[in-house]
Amino acid sequence: MAMLSFEKKYRVRGGTLLGGDLFDFWVGPFYVGFFGVTTLFFTIIGVAMILYGASLGDTWNVWRINIAPPDLKYGLGLAPLKEGGIWQIVTICALGAFCSWALRQAEICRKLGVGLHVPFAFSAAIFAYFSLVVIRPVLMGAWGHGFPYGILSHLDWVSNTGYQYLHFHYNPMHMVAVTLFFTNCLALALHSALVLSTLNPGKGEVVKAPEHENTYFRDIIGYSIGTLGIHRLGMFLAMSAAITSGLCIIISGPFWSRGWPEWWGWWLNLPIWH
Amino acid sequence: MSYGIRTAVLGVVGLGVAFLTIPMIMGFQRPFIETVQHGPRGVAMGLVYNKADEAKTAPANQVPGYLPALPPVGPKASVVYKNVQVLGDLSVGQFTRLMASITQWVAPAQGCNYCHNPANMAEDSKYTKIVARRMIQMTQNINQNWSTHVAATGVVCWTCHRGNNIPVNYWYDTPATPGTDTHMGFAAMTPGKNHPTTVSRAGISSLPSDPFTPYLENAEPIRVQSTEALPAGDRSSIKQTDWTYALMMHMSNALGVNCTYCHNSRAFGDWAQSPPQRVTAWYGIRMVREMNVGYMDPLAPVFPDYRKGPQGDVAKVNCVTCHQGVYKPLYGVSMAKDFQELRTVSSSAHPYTP
Amino acid sequence: MSEYLNILTRVQVRGHYEPGIPLPRGNWTRSKNQPWFEYWMGKIGDAQVGPIYLGGLGIASAVCFMIAFEIIGLNMWASVHWDFVQFVRQLPWLALEPPAPAYGLHFPPLAEGGWWLVAGFFLTCSILLWWARIYRRAVQLGLGTHTAWAFLAPIWLYLVLGFFRPLLMGSWSEAVPFGIFPHLDWTASFSIRYGNLFYNPFHMLSIVFLYGSAVIFAMHGATILAVSRFGGEREVEQSVDRGTAAERAGLIWRWTMGFNATFESFHRWGIWFAVLCPITGGIGILLTGTVVDNWYLWGVKHHIAASYPALWGNVVDPATLPGAASLGVVK
Repeated sequence: MAMLSFEKKYRVRGGTLLGGDLFDFWVGPFYVGFFGVTTLFFTIIGVAMILYGASLGDTWNVWRINIAPPDLKYGLGLAPLKEGGIWQIVTICALGAFCSWALRQAEICRKLGVGLHVPFAFSAAIFAYFSLVVIRPVLMGAWGHGFPYGILSHLDWVSNTGYQYLHFHYNPMHMVAVTLFFTNCLALALHSALVLSTLNPGKGEVVKAPEHENTYFRDIIGYSIGTLGIHRLGMFLAMSAAITSGLCIIISGPFWSRGWPEWWGWWLNLPIWH
Repeated sequence: MSYGIRTAVLGVVGLGVAFLTIPMIMGFQRPFIETVQHGPRGVAMGLVYNKADEAKTAPANQVPGYLPALPPVGPKASVVYKNVQVLGDLSVGQFTRLMASITQWVAPAQGCNYCHNPANMAEDSKYTKIVARRMIQMTQNINQNWSTHVAATGVVCWTCHRGNNIPVNYWYDTPATPGTDTHMGFAAMTPGKNHPTTVSRAGISSLPSDPFTPYLENAEPIRVQSTEALPAGDRSSIKQTDWTYALMMHMSNALGVNCTYCHNSRAFGDWAQSPPQRVTAWYGIRMVREMNVGYMDPLAPVFPDYRKGPQGDVAKVNCVTCHQGVYKPLYGVSMAKDFQELRTVSSSAHPYTP
Repeated sequence: MSEYLNILTRVQVRGHYEPGIPLPRGNWTRSKNQPWFEYWMGKIGDAQVGPIYLGGLGIASAVCFMIAFEIIGLNMWASVHWDFVQFVRQLPWLALEPPAPAYGLHFPPLAEGGWWLVAGFFLTCSILLWWARIYRRAVQLGLGTHTAWAFLAPIWLYLVLGFFRPLLMGSWSEAVPFGIFPHLDWTASFSIRYGNLFYNPFHMLSIVFLYGSAVIFAMHGATILAVSRFGGEREVEQSVDRGTAAERAGLIWRWTMGFNATFESFHRWGIWFAVLCPITGGIGILLTGTVVDNWYLWGVKHHIAASYPALWGNVVDPATLPGAASLGVVK
């Protein structure tokens, strides 16, 4: 596969975290590295287990395939393969693959001499997944509290988990997470639109500069965060959305077992109202 | 802004955050929990209990010690005592044991005199005696005709009263909601919602605060979810759904369970996917309606004013009256099995006249 | 290990106060406040606050917004009998509720949902005037109008929720109340009434784009910060005159996943993910109750619902059994 015109000068040895020069090579556009190999290893096993699990089910309809976690009676132990064991192996593989992917990103960033922001940001997504399938199940005492791997079945899980707390929208951390997700979406739209509008000002206009970007935002809302700041803000919003999502599910059960609306009693009972 | 003002602002904000954070964190529970699976694996149907919560709930829901049952020998109560309208078929021994038990269950502090005039035990001068008689008939009716809800476990006075003259949990009609103020033409609609509700009513949500009048007294339709994929004339509204939701919140909190005890929430309305507890609950709603309309409401002329609510109505029953935070009252331990006289409607009972 | 990752600005250089690109004739003026720099804002972004453009559209928009805000607030306050302490205490629970279903699309008395319509009218005016403002500001500065077109996406969602769908359903009561917890109640009840919104394919898409936007912005923000040591935040310059920052940024992703966007095309991914979230969400809402009445049953019809083992035998709707109708009915 052809390299980009400027790519050759960047393809140098070094920057690896593990494996020295052994895996320090590319396949087509892909960098391999030790963690590329482990990513592939976990992905192949995980996908194979999902296919095996699907073959045990009664459907190959992609919407309906369901790889469910074990019954709660197995607690934090291993379950028989066909009764949730597959889910456990897939979970291990998924975590192995995600972490390998993050470490491979770290190697790539080191090789390119750039900051480690990308694997750092990705770790927030891994945390959200880890919260769902490890932290919360461990705190609740059974792997069976993890979510099933299936397109509609995981939605059914989300629905029932929500209604286990009667009205999940009242979960304060869920409120924060949703707010961050929406704000992230808004900020992404504003940033993307602003850059595109500066680069594509329309017929007869020249491409504009960051001074125009700043002026535009100061004109409409009185503040422009600037070209560097918007990327800090975006990374912060996106990562916080993932992290607070993880927190909102960790607290549901382990730290609050009743309806979420009831949690708000502390606010109504503050002494200042009397 | 000057440095001083900025510091002051930051200080005030910091103090405010600390002031709010502490009670907020105290509001959470410590993570010692117990879970019960109540559906296929991986569907997240099941119950979640905090052990600290359970440590409070469990002792409050135990069966008390009570007098042993006596054989039906000796003269009948109706022969020996006067004005025995309901329990006349009991032997004197059985009758006395039940009277003593009721005292223990309902008026342990006041004793017999809570209902009876000590000078003339047969006299109906105290309202409490009339109410008690009606409640015995209600208990018998529940045990005989509502096994769909109370099963073979049955109920006795203790199930609700727990040693109190009035069960701890009951409901009155709510005064017109605070939103009825039309001052300056603002906000006056009476949607009966959009204020904090009590835990028992709708779990401190802003959902409608009185799900009882429409569903546990009147028989408004509870089902709001369409049964057809495509529109076919179901005009149930979102606002109506708020009310049903509030009732379901009440039921969940009353039983210490969550929505998945009776439903697979992916299809709330579908009976084929629902646990059988939903059937029991369905009968429970009808049973409570009958208790309120057939027994409590007609007692309005009997109760003195100080026992009535702000709207002048009598105290009424809902799910928490019996369940008191537990999925089966008294964790399903049957007291009625030792009080057979409460299990069937007495033949001598006067037909009720609501 | 430790290296400078440019998370916060360490040294803030305080230049002169930027007045902004001069505006063409025919415009109103910008605010003429004292130069205002905020140290803490300078830690993550630009320290300069202001100036803001003062114009007819913006002022009209702000006035309309204030009217809507006041109507909502006063109605909430009235609902606690003008008790200020209770107003603050109960604020998250309070709401201005749309009219009851009985009113259909008629204008009800003010106190029974009329205020909701009035507030909605002014809020809509405010939003549309704001749209015109950001369109005009872009044109006046010689920028493309992308921001305004992107802003149309959330406006679409807002209008579907409060205007188009109630219109199609023939009832204002279908719309969302103004209130913090009450709008969450509405969302839950909406999903329950229409048979589980998770089975609505447009809801699925909307969530995909919402999460996707987080992924996109995390990738983008992280990439730009990672190459900020090479001036990567100068996206416009690097788009027209590629430098090493853009090259390295591209290679991060090319080597990771075999594909990369450019400094310009990345923002096309961004804008589409971001606007498709409310666009698909709005479509999903608009179809609910108008075209589909129960999304779960719709899913069953189209063979997407997973099947689970039946654990409880045959649970039958007791309302279908003989005598059910008379149960609990006292004659």
